[in-house]
Amino acid sequence: MTTSPRPLVEFHDVTVAYGRRPVVWNVDLVIDEPCLFGIIGPNGAGKSTLLKAALGLVPLVGGEVLFFGEPLARVRGRVGYVPQRETVDWDFPVNVMDVVLMGTYGRLGWFRRPGERERRLARECLDRVGLADVAARQIGRLSGGQQQRVFLARALAQEADVYFLDEPMAGVDVRSQERIFGVLDDLKADGRLVVVVHHDLRTAAEWFDRVALVDRRVVAAGPTSDTLTPDNLQRTYAGHVDVLDDLAQAIAARGRTP
Amino acid sequence: MTAAAELVSHNTLVVALGVGAVGFAAGVVGSLCVLRKRALAGDAAAHATLVGVACAFLATGRRDLVTLLAGALLAACAGLGVLVLVRRFTRTRDDAATALVIGVSFGLGITLVSGLPAWGFANSAGLEQFLLGHTAALTSRDAWLLGGVAVVAVAVVAAVLKEATLVAFDAAFAAATGWPVTAIDYVIVGLVALMVVAGLPAVGAVLVTALVVIPPVAARFWTDRVGTLVVLAGLIGLAAAVAGVAVSAARPGLATGPLVVLAAAAVFACSFLAAPQRGWIARRADAPRAPAAGWNSGAAEGGP
Repeated sequence: MTTSPRPLVEFHDVTVAYGRRPVVWNVDLVIDEPCLFGIIGPNGAGKSTLLKAALGLVPLVGGEVLFFGEPLARVRGRVGYVPQRETVDWDFPVNVMDVVLMGTYGRLGWFRRPGERERRLARECLDRVGLADVAARQIGRLSGGQQQRVFLARALAQEADVYFLDEPMAGVDVRSQERIFGVLDDLKADGRLVVVVHHDLRTAAEWFDRVALVDRRVVAAGPTSDTLTPDNLQRTYAGHVDVLDDLAQAIAARGRTP
Repeated sequence: MTAAAELVSHNTLVVALGVGAVGFAAGVVGSLCVLRKRALAGDAAAHATLVGVACAFLATGRRDLVTLLAGALLAACAGLGVLVLVRRFTRTRDDAATALVIGVSFGLGITLVSGLPAWGFANSAGLEQFLLGHTAALTSRDAWLLGGVAVVAVAVVAAVLKEATLVAFDAAFAAATGWPVTAIDYVIVGLVALMVVAGLPAVGAVLVTALVVIPPVAARFWTDRVGTLVVLAGLIGLAAAVAGVAVSAARPGLATGPLVVLAAAAVFACSFLAAPQRGWIARRADAPRAPAAGWNSGAAEGGP
């Protein structure tokens, strides 16, 4: 991928509301190079909403989001998405391969069915997430971590340049977490941008190159080591007493990170 | 004429084929509807059809099938439109709004259909047969019309199966990758309205949703693939429809609709009991490997 003259993703004064209740507001964020980018914040901070707004799933009340300097509608094929795992019915009558093939539908367009090229791509993607041997299995017969990796494989099949992942580590076993982050690292090495909504402070410090701390607005953003400071964390998590313990551990973890 | 001779008469045969085609298409369309979790929308459309039948008769004075079903289709779409409006503007929840549309439109429909003779429309007799379905009055021309509608519906499903499956499984991903989710939903619900109307003469307004819902739910026991599910649901719908027409031809006192639904229910019961893996017996025998719960068992994994 050649480096775009424009930033990969830009949020300009973005405000999102459900009904009349604003959820996040005045978000300004520019990501101009491929990296692992974490959107971190407490529950209910509007992290997922921000991500959905960027993807056009929730209307913006104000502001705009640009990809490669263009509105999403013109570059959808270059933006991949991994929704939260709980948003779908895993008893749905499809197998693992069927779901991964859905990643190719955007490129196929109306009425065209996946062919040999798409199947080969889907098998490669399943191989990358370590699920090649369960391709024919109904998706309800997978563990939570495997289900999350199916979603990741589907996003890989989109062959995008920017990836958005919504809480990919929620309810996922450690082995799957490591596998997922391995794949995300490879994507970064391959010149792609990976934006992850994440709520676990303990792991944030070691996994992300850059982070944005979000609590209904962007509290701080930048390289992880400069941003996950005790002061910024206090400001982000003020009023969320339940996470003070996490906070202490995150700060401790930061101290360990090279 | 004996019952056996009536069963094989040319007209009965053509009617059975036409209604069988409707049963097949209802199962096929119903698969999309149930996978998208819109089963109750079909019920709202079905109960609204009676109003359309009565109004079509009032407006034109004619009682041929095309006229009445055209009215029914308009009313079904209007009922769905009212459902959308009630949800949006009164902030009534989906289930309550659906029940409201079902009740009100059905009450209005019954009032119109049963009131017409009393108000001096003597030749309106027969409209009430749309309540429970009655195939004896169908001509072979009617059957060809119904068969044609069925073929169109199946062709549309075949064309958009990929897109509809994507939306049914993961609407957020579909929207994020640029698919017009609302438009695809309208196609699915529109097809359901069409099949509800096509099923009206044979199965009737009260029960026609069952013809859309039971076959896919029964088929789900036998397969884990959408493509197989769609075909299987179609075959179950076909079998149920033909069985209902045949029995009611042999026993003219029985309305066709309940027989069709009972036949479909019998297939459901067998599927629930005997299907490998997902069937009750197989699960009992295989208890440690409990299968995932899902829409067959009523336990939906709801998202936010």
